[in-house]
Amino acid sequence: MTFSRRNFLRLAGLVAAGATLSACAPVYARLAGDPKSLAGWPPLAATDFRALSRVTFGPRVEERLHVAEIGLNEWLEEQLAHESIDDQSLHWRLQNFETLTMSAAELADWSEGLFDDVDKQSVPRELARATLIRQVYSRRQLYEVMVEFWTDHFNISVEKGDCWFLKTVDDREVIRPHALGKFRDLLWASAHSPAMLVYLDNQVNHKGAPNENYARELMELHTLGVHGGYTQQDVQELARCLTGWSVKEAFWRGDFTFNAGQHDTGAKTVLGLTINPDGQGEAEQVVELLAAHPSTARFVATKLARRFIADEPPSELVAKASTAFTQNDGDIRAVLRVILFDGLASAQPKFKRPVNVVASALRMLNATTDGGEVLYDHLARMGQAHFRWPTPDGYPDRSGAWSGNLMPRWQFALALARNEIKGTKLDLSEIAQASGAQTPAEIVDQSGALLLGSPLPAPTRDDLVASLGSAGAGDADLPAVIAAGLIASPAFQWR
Amino acid sequence: MSLTLTRQNFLQSSAALTGAVAWPAWMPRLAFAPPETAPRGRRSPSGGDTLVVIFLRGAADALNIVVPHGEAAYHALRPTLGIARPDDNHVARGLRAIDLDGFFGLHPALRPLLPAWQAGHLAPVHACGAPDESRSHFKAMELMERGVDDERGPASGWIGRHLATLNTGNHSPLRAVGLGAIPQRSLSGSIPVSALRSIADFHLGGDPRAVAQMQAALASLYAGDDPLTAIGRETLDILEALQALDPRGYQPTTGLMYPDTEFGMGLRQMAMLVKAEVGLEVAAIDLGGWDTHFAQGAGEGLMAGLLKELAEGLAALHADLFDYADRLTIVTLSEFGRRAQENGSLGTDHGHGSLMLLMGGHVSGGKIHGQWPGLAEGQLVGPGDLAVTTDYRDVLGEVCFKRLNNPALAEIFPGHEVKLRGFLR
Repeated sequence: MTFSRRNFLRLAGLVAAGATLSACAPVYARLAGDPKSLAGWPPLAATDFRALSRVTFGPRVEERLHVAEIGLNEWLEEQLAHESIDDQSLHWRLQNFETLTMSAAELADWSEGLFDDVDKQSVPRELARATLIRQVYSRRQLYEVMVEFWTDHFNISVEKGDCWFLKTVDDREVIRPHALGKFRDLLWASAHSPAMLVYLDNQVNHKGAPNENYARELMELHTLGVHGGYTQQDVQELARCLTGWSVKEAFWRGDFTFNAGQHDTGAKTVLGLTINPDGQGEAEQVVELLAAHPSTARFVATKLARRFIADEPPSELVAKASTAFTQNDGDIRAVLRVILFDGLASAQPKFKRPVNVVASALRMLNATTDGGEVLYDHLARMGQAHFRWPTPDGYPDRSGAWSGNLMPRWQFALALARNEIKGTKLDLSEIAQASGAQTPAEIVDQSGALLLGSPLPAPTRDDLVASLGSAGAGDADLPAVIAAGLIASPAFQWR
Repeated sequence: MSLTLTRQNFLQSSAALTGAVAWPAWMPRLAFAPPETAPRGRRSPSGGDTLVVIFLRGAADALNIVVPHGEAAYHALRPTLGIARPDDNHVARGLRAIDLDGFFGLHPALRPLLPAWQAGHLAPVHACGAPDESRSHFKAMELMERGVDDERGPASGWIGRHLATLNTGNHSPLRAVGLGAIPQRSLSGSIPVSALRSIADFHLGGDPRAVAQMQAALASLYAGDDPLTAIGRETLDILEALQALDPRGYQPTTGLMYPDTEFGMGLRQMAMLVKAEVGLEVAAIDLGGWDTHFAQGAGEGLMAGLLKELAEGLAALHADLFDYADRLTIVTLSEFGRRAQENGSLGTDHGHGSLMLLMGGHVSGGKIHGQWPGLAEGQLVGPGDLAVTTDYRDVLGEVCFKRLNNPALAEIFPGHEVKLRGFLR
């Protein structure tokens, strides 16, 4: 059978009925209310589906319909203006996550149990759960994708020192406020972030015997890139500028502090610039220098293009994006505009990272989740539990890092389709009913359109149906094993 | 780079990796050959050794692993982090270096390696490393895993090229495995490489009917021309190969204790694969956390804990596979070493010269290899780092040539002429 838009719209209607919290209901309610007026409406073009997959954690049915209605570019503009997208339903979902709004000191206190037993798990677990829920449910998808990007760029592992509670503050006050803002502000906030200073050992960077860790990664990973033109001497000089940048330990525990007594007051030269004695202002001067450096523009533009367009992005696109970075004073939206509007049409397949596998399966099938432990175990086995990458380079972006570990993805696919993940619920019968699919081939086609953007090629579909038949799959088994197979399939691993 | 202080959470979240796991009752069973009938000294299909490559990620501090306690400058550079001399009576015996040859000694946490040293199965190569002087973890690790001098040269890894240039007729899906969630870069090459985190966890679930249907679906879906097809088919093959093993039936040689960590479990899985004769030629595994900028510790503390995990793991593997020592080579490497002088926060910053450990039945054991460059002023390089006197590729190249029977060294390490220095027999 051919995949019919009518069935697709019924799916959208199903989403509308099921998602009582969703504030976008009017859009697709209107669409689904009058299918006849949409005669001839096709599933999304392959390039639009890929673009949508790249700027979301997997497109929901209503997002596909919305793009089909207003066009990709208009939709991207909506996403870039993330603050004007109503996200009240997400807000409600997170309202009981009380640690998200606590100060560092409150988080530390909150975690102190009886008998000196400090609970170091609840805070990072709540942050990870909240993050997954945002990725699955937020309507500000591009924003959440950028939050993930900067979380990798300014990676902090919650397993290092006090980062188990400081990361919650970093996420709230560094990454999220600036994810679509100015790079300079983001860098500035990150440099003053207690979590970052602890993670990269700057809270123990003292005069006379500096600790180079943060100074090096600030240039190598956060700004200039390893080929950005700095030397070992620059690392050592910047480390001297950063002596005394630390974190309060007793009162106002976990707040940033500049400890003048530990600061090296001698003259320094960083990247050819003479830094006169100015206490905390010295490193801040270097932060400004790094934020505006041409190597930074190029490095950040390259990484963004890699995330959105291709593992090895076209050099012209990178050049144009890095010019936009420089001309717009590091405005992240301006860089994204170039990358998305110029680049998405020629986007190359990217291998889904584990978070994307999980979130896209849930979103495309309209599953519900509380982001609980069992789902988390799946993510951990795939290799991407939130905020647990140990080294400061962030979870790998290139496909090659992930493609060798398929088994946990297959395990997740089967467990999800069979509803064996506690706290996560998938209703395949509802989807089957809405889609009207009855024969095995129809189920494969409908599920393929839903999960892969378009149905599997007919020979692959027929082969799959035949194999399932020989393996003894009866009518009752089919929806689950087909959904599992498709989520585990090669095509679903790419976005 | 960060130093992971607690990995407990992660390990807890993956309870299947720990020794205490209860094997699910439906795990397919097929017994291992009982120990008394285990083949002694049988070679892998290549005719060469099984190679275990252990990457110590984060730049391990070579000077506190094999300690130059006879070097005058050592304790001056490291007043708080230096490992006490073997004869330093002011320090508890358990915190002093274990003397090896009057000049070098092992960090006290490496005591579990003494039996291997005494058996002539341990050969450290000191002051070795790569020419790269970026002191960047990520650049240095990438170049080292690719086995190249700089960004030019093949993108594949040196192990991948070794496998690609040696046709052993071994088509086992387990010819090369990376232990962990992400396969090591060194393995990348022309054959698909799979990450294997846990044999016990390598299955599709409980309901046999659903599993059979899922396997049928996967076999059908992984048949096209997608780049993933090869990896998917290999994953299915491994699934099948592992269904013939029974992790429940596997007992390491009596009395052995692998560390109860992901690293320890990884080594245990390797021993299992070696004994099961499934065609394993190369296994790669990582041990991270060596980036000790802060609170490194001396005879005890953070780094001592890591060394203990490393030593107990290596010792368990060495003893578990003692009957296979004749065809087993283990090598450790790290992207670079650390600054000779300690920093102001009881740690060490990024340095240059590093250290490799070779273990196995055919290493030239019982001596410290490599020309010692010294730690005095004028002998240190860059901002005060141990010099590199042996290129790490000379060590790996000799392993490939002598123990893996692969003469294609120019292809494995393009741009570097491997010099055989007698690290192995």
